[in-house]
Amino acid sequence: MLFALVGFAFIALPLIGLIQQVSWGSLWTDLRTPEATAALRLSVICSLWATALSVLFGVPLAFVLARVTFPGRSIARALVLLPLVVPPVVGGVGLFYAFGREGLVGQYLYDWFDIQLTFSTAGAVMAETFVAMPFLVITVEAALRSMDRRYEDAAATLGARPMTIARRVTLPLIAPGLVAGAALAWARALGEFGATITFAGNIQGRTQTTPLAVYLLLQSKPDVAIGLSIVLLAVCVAVLALLRDRWLGFR
Amino acid sequence: MKLSVLFIVVVGLVAGGCGRDSSSGSRDISTPTTIAVKANGTITVAAAASLTEAFTKIGSDFKHTNPNVTARFNFGSSGTLATQIQQGAPADTFASADEDNMKRSTAANLTDGRPVIFAKNKLVIVTKPGNPKKVKTLADLVDLDVVSLCGDTVPCGKYSAQILQTAGVKIPETKITRAQDVKAALAAVTTGDADAAIVYTTDAKSAGNSVEAVMIPDAQNATATYPIVTLAASGNKAASRAFIAYVTSSKGQATLRSYGFLPPS
Amino acid sequence: MSLVAHVVAHVGSLDLDAAVEVDEGETVAILGPNGAGKTTLLRALAGLVPLEAGRVTLDGVVLDDGARVFVAPEGRPIGVVFQDYLLFPHLSVLENVAFGLRSHGIRRAAARNTATIALERVGLADLVDMKPRELSGGQAQRVALARATASEPRLLLLDEPLAALDQSARGTTRRDLRAHLATFSGIRLLVTHDPLDAAALADRLVILEQGRVIQTGSFADVSAHPRSNYVAELVGVNLLRGLGHGDHLELPSGAMVVVPGAGSGEALAVIHPRSIALHIQPPAGSPRNVAAGSVESIESLGDRVRVRIAGSVPLIAEITPAARRDLDLGAGTPVWTSFKATDVTVFPV
Repeated sequence: MLFALVGFAFIALPLIGLIQQVSWGSLWTDLRTPEATAALRLSVICSLWATALSVLFGVPLAFVLARVTFPGRSIARALVLLPLVVPPVVGGVGLFYAFGREGLVGQYLYDWFDIQLTFSTAGAVMAETFVAMPFLVITVEAALRSMDRRYEDAAATLGARPMTIARRVTLPLIAPGLVAGAALAWARALGEFGATITFAGNIQGRTQTTPLAVYLLLQSKPDVAIGLSIVLLAVCVAVLALLRDRWLGFR
Repeated sequence: MKLSVLFIVVVGLVAGGCGRDSSSGSRDISTPTTIAVKANGTITVAAAASLTEAFTKIGSDFKHTNPNVTARFNFGSSGTLATQIQQGAPADTFASADEDNMKRSTAANLTDGRPVIFAKNKLVIVTKPGNPKKVKTLADLVDLDVVSLCGDTVPCGKYSAQILQTAGVKIPETKITRAQDVKAALAAVTTGDADAAIVYTTDAKSAGNSVEAVMIPDAQNATATYPIVTLAASGNKAASRAFIAYVTSSKGQATLRSYGFLPPS
Repeated sequence: MSLVAHVVAHVGSLDLDAAVEVDEGETVAILGPNGAGKTTLLRALAGLVPLEAGRVTLDGVVLDDGARVFVAPEGRPIGVVFQDYLLFPHLSVLENVAFGLRSHGIRRAAARNTATIALERVGLADLVDMKPRELSGGQAQRVALARATASEPRLLLLDEPLAALDQSARGTTRRDLRAHLATFSGIRLLVTHDPLDAAALADRLVILEQGRVIQTGSFADVSAHPRSNYVAELVGVNLLRGLGHGDHLELPSGAMVVVPGAGSGEALAVIHPRSIALHIQPPAGSPRNVAAGSVESIESLGDRVRVRIAGSVPLIAEITPAARRDLDLGAGTPVWTSFKATDVTVFPV
C-alpha cells in the first residue's frame, strides 16, 4: 500500500509541479508569442502528417505481421517495434545515416532528386513517424489477431475479393483498434523530441516543434516553455480520455 | 575491511569540515602547493561545453599532482549550468564560457570569492570537410540551406549573434537550426546535414578532420571570456580552489593552449 | 445438376474423409456429433478449407481437386448461413443482404433493391435499417438466409442453422426455415447435430462420425435400420407426423396419439424406442397410448433389440434380449404397444 502510494506520488507530483508553475494570467499571451505559435502550428502539422503516414504504412504492415506467415516474422516484428524502446536520439542518428545527405538512401535522394530530408519539415515528420508508427502497428496487429476471422470467411463466400474484404469488413471491424492506435501514435508524435532534434534539427517554424521549443525556451522564456508544456499535457490527457471512452464503448 | 572503510569516511568528513572552517576563517588562501597538500575528496566542476576536451585532460593531470582529489565534470551550455546552479545543483566549481552567466551566479551570491578569467576563445566557421559549399566569409552563410548556431541564450549563440551583427549579415531564422550548446552546434555539421556552424576555434580544432574551419577576420570576430569560480554551496572549497589554482597554473594554461584557447590577457 | 464431393482434409486432430452427393431441389443434412467433421466438410465445400485429396464438383464444374484446381470461395456460386450467422455488425440489415450482390459487381441501387426483395421474402422488410445487434436470434437467422441466397447461388450451405437459438424460438424458426428452404431452388446442404432439425428440414441424412460417413438415407430408413449403436442413439427415435388437436395428434392412419400440447396444424411427435413397452395381452394401467400391431422385423444391436411394429401407430421398440425371449417374439407376432403421454415430445413443423 505504502509503495503503491509512493509510486503514485512519484508520477503525480511532477505533473502537479508543472501545473502550479503556470502563470495562468499570462498563459494566453505566452502562447501567442511568435515562438510558441510557430512551434504549436508546426507540431500540429507534423504530428498529423506523422499519424497519417503511420496509418498509411502501419496498417498494411500490421496486416502482414498478423496474417502472413513468413520466415523471420518474429524478427521482423521485433524490428518494427524497436523504436518503442530505442532511445529516440539513437533513432535520430540512425535516421541520419539512412536518410541524411550521405546516408544509405539519402545520398541518392540528394544526388538524383536534390531532396534533403535533414533539417526539413519533412525530416521532422519522418522522425515523428519513426517513433509513432510502432504504436499504431502494435495496436492494429493486436486488433487483427483478436477479431473473429470468420467474418472474413463470410465475406469471401459472398463473393468478396481479398481487397474488398479488407476494406469493407476487416477495417471496419478493427476500427476501434485503429482509432486507438492512431491516437497513441499521434500523442507520441506530438511529444517527439530526441529523434527530431537529432535528425531534423531545431529550426524555428520549420523543425522546431513544441517539445523542442520547450527545451530551448526554458532558459530564455520559462513562462512560455511552461505554457507550451501545459498544452502538451492537456492534449495527452485528452487522448487518454478518448481512448478510455473508446474502450468502454466497444467492450 | 569494514573498519578501514569507516576510517576513510571519517577522515573524509573531518577533512571536509576542516576545509569549510578554513574557508570561513581566511579569505586569501596561500599558494596552490599548500592547498594541494590539504585538499582531498571529490569535486564536481560545472564547465562550459567548449571546455570538454581541455578540462577532461586537465582533470586527469590534476589527479597526478593532487592524488587525493578527484574532479568530476558536468559539461553543458553555460546558461543551462548557471540555471542548474541557481536551482541548487550540487557543484563545487563553475567554469563559464561568458561573463553574463557568471554574473548571474555572482549577483545571486552563489559564488565564493571573485571569478578568475582563465582563458579566452575566438569563433570560427566550420563546414563539411572540403568546404563543398565554398564558404569564404560570413556573408556566404546567407546562401546556405542550413546553418547551425547555438541557441541565443547560450554564450556561443550570443557571440555568434554579435559577430553576424558586426559583419552586417542577417541569416533568415528559417535557415538556422538552434543547438542547445556548442557541441550540439558542431555535431549538426559533423553528424548532421547542416552546411556550416559557428563554433569556437577550440571546438573546430578538437573536431579534427571531420570539419573544415573558415577563419573569421578579427575585425568581425568576438572574444569569448572564460571565468572560473568556487561556488558558495560547495562542500569542498579547498579542493575546488586547488583545482582553480591548477587551471591557472602554468601547467594548466599550457594544456589549455594546446587545445587552442587563448591566454586570459 | 448436383453436388458431388469427396472431401479429404486434416484439421487439428480431425481426419476427414467423406463423400457426399446432393441433387438439385434436395435438402441433405449432415448429422453427427460435435467434432465429427461436419463444419470442416461444409467449409471445404465453401472453399474455406482446401482439400488435401478428393474432389468437389458442382454442376459438373470441378471446384477443388486437392491438386491443380482450386476455386477460391469468392469464385464459387455458393451461399453460406454460418452457425452464429456472422452478420457484419457494422452494416445495416439491408447492407448485409446487399453485400454479396455488391461484391458481384451489381450497382448500389440495384443491389439494395434486390436485397429489399430478399428481405421481404423472409418477412423482414421493416427491419432494413436495423443493425444486427438489434435483431432477435430468429430475425438474425432469417437475415443470414436472405444474405446467403440474395445473389441466387447454386449451392446453399447451412451450418447449424438453429443451434444459436433458444428453445422457445426454435420451433417457429424451424418451421419458417423449412418454408424458406422450399423456395430456394438450388442444392441445399445443412449441417446439424440435432436429429430433430435434420428430421424436420432434410429429405436425406448423411451421418458423419469421426470424419467418416457411416450411413446415408432418409430419416425413416436410418432410424429404422441404424447401422451402429451410435446412430441408433442419435436417430433411432420414433417420429410420428400428424395433425395437432390440442391434447392429441391425429395420425394419417386415423389413429390418435395422446400428447400434451399438441397445438394445431402439422406437428411431429418424438418418442424414444426405450419408452415403448410391448405386451402380449392388452395392458392396463397409466399409459394413455395403447395400440395393437404386429412384429414386422427384429434387429439385434449388441445388448439391445430393436423391434419394428406395424399397425395404425407404426413404432420401433427397444427391449433387452431377455425380454424378447420372455415374450417369444418373432416376425408376425401380434403385440400391444404402450407409452406414456409424458414420454412424447411434440413440435410443430
